[in-house]
Amino acid sequence: MSEQQPVYPVVWPLGKSHWDKRDLNPGLGDLNGKTIAEVWDRVFRGEEIFPAIRAALKKKYPQVRFVEYDTFGDPQGINQKQVLADLPTLLRKHNVDAVISGVGA
Amino acid sequence: MLRASAAIERAGFPTVSIVSTGFLKQAEVVARGLGIDDLKIAHYPGTPMVDSSEELRRKVAGDLAPQIIEALTSARASERKQAAAREPAPREIVFRGTLEEVNDHFYDAMWTDGLPVFPPTLAQVERFLRFTERAPDEVIGVCPPDNREATVWNIAVTGVMAGCRPDYMPLLIAVVDAVTDPEFRIQDAGSTPGWEPLITVSGPIAAQLDFNSGASVMRIGRRANSTVGRFLRLILRNMAGFRFAPGAGDKGSIAQNFFVALAENEEACREVGWLPYSADRGFQPGENIVTVQSVVSVSPPIYTGSDDPLEHARVLAEVVGQSCGYWSPVAMTYSKNNPLIVLGPSIAKVFAGHGWSKAGIRQYLYDNLWIAADDAERYAYYIGLTGFRLRDHVAKGLLPPEYCASDDPKRRVRMLLNPESIGIVIAGDAGRNQSKCYCSNHTQGPPVSRKVTLPRDWDGLLARR
Repeated sequence: MSEQQPVYPVVWPLGKSHWDKRDLNPGLGDLNGKTIAEVWDRVFRGEEIFPAIRAALKKKYPQVRFVEYDTFGDPQGINQKQVLADLPTLLRKHNVDAVISGVGA
Repeated sequence: MLRASAAIERAGFPTVSIVSTGFLKQAEVVARGLGIDDLKIAHYPGTPMVDSSEELRRKVAGDLAPQIIEALTSARASERKQAAAREPAPREIVFRGTLEEVNDHFYDAMWTDGLPVFPPTLAQVERFLRFTERAPDEVIGVCPPDNREATVWNIAVTGVMAGCRPDYMPLLIAVVDAVTDPEFRIQDAGSTPGWEPLITVSGPIAAQLDFNSGASVMRIGRRANSTVGRFLRLILRNMAGFRFAPGAGDKGSIAQNFFVALAENEEACREVGWLPYSADRGFQPGENIVTVQSVVSVSPPIYTGSDDPLEHARVLAEVVGQSCGYWSPVAMTYSKNNPLIVLGPSIAKVFAGHGWSKAGIRQYLYDNLWIAADDAERYAYYIGLTGFRLRDHVAKGLLPPEYCASDDPKRRVRMLLNPESIGIVIAGDAGRNQSKCYCSNHTQGPPVSRKVTLPRDWDGLLARR
């Protein structure tokens, strides 16, 4: 005769998600005449990747402009909170249309 | 990086984020937690840190740039990947089964750490809730990147699963309160160094709950130390979303196991006339305090022998320097460093017996830990901090001018940013002469302390447990 094992009714171990949903902004169509900002977290060779991106985009869109990463500070660094807080104002100040951010996750 | 992208999208600007192959799965978790699960990604194939410059430029031109153009020019806005599934209510029974079936179910759902868990039944959870006066639905904190709420209820559920005793509940709440402080940056607990949080318990609660602070401290085996440490690992997994394949979110390259909680030997502090670690953290001696900080690596056992405190200090500095030196450029990059020295009681006695204070030990380590400037920049580069230059950091005021006192690449620069940031806790075998150093991971997991709030009838509850 097999031993009767107790049965445990158990609850969910995760917490309620706290996701503040947001839709993406639409793209720009054409990059000519547009201003692209670079936001870099100072890792994974962004100092080489961003210049190469600039060159590639300029080849296809000669009138595209860039605001380079030094303008915005390090969004992962010691001043992360302030850098993130300042970003919207800085982007508007430089008449930015779209942003390339990197490198990592 | 995606946090910046999400903030920029919320400000009304379209973005595209560069993510290399190894981070794609983590990016999914981060983006979902940020509420924008369809953030546009441009995928850099492979690992940029091992590509030649030529290969890097080829990948940017051939792979990355076309994706960036597509992302920035596409008129499409959001493409929701999936509708959010309904989530169970706190008291809802989600599964019924035997002990083995419950464990298999939880493991398959990626809700466990691979070790057996106690089944979180309503009755068990209620036993934990008796040890707090806080409402079960009170949100103690939110845990990014998965951004799940850690409520008193969830903390009790996780405590049950980890094998904690119900009377640990006030301490568990304090631990979660600490790690969900934005200063702790729990969202970075899945970063590639694979750091792990370490909980230090101070005050009379350590003895009341039977924590070990003596021989074999830091080894699994005492229920309080072991299960409280495991509890935090489960919080990171289930609330913050740090799971590895077939899950996602945890990017620890060669990661560490969870640490059992560390309890300070406050009796040894009193014997040598030093204040406990909790007082160093700004609390009154005798208060029940938890402090949580990151640990990215552990030194070898540091055996020091002499009745001369200077000899102990010399060897401590040598081994701490060898153990933490390679990682010190990360601290310079982020202008933050909090090594924790666990000092054996017999060593503390020698120092204190010759009039040394903890401040004196800290000052000695600060004055005697150095690294060559070019090694600091080279190590930083290999770690991936390719934008780090000592000169730039000094120019921005992130490091003091002494870091660029000359142009000599072999000039010595300090490993530690200030003496005050070194933590010292007395624990371990009183019958031996060993210490250890736990190196922290800069802005990711700096020490954060919380007072443990006990219920009014704490003594009565303990007597009836």
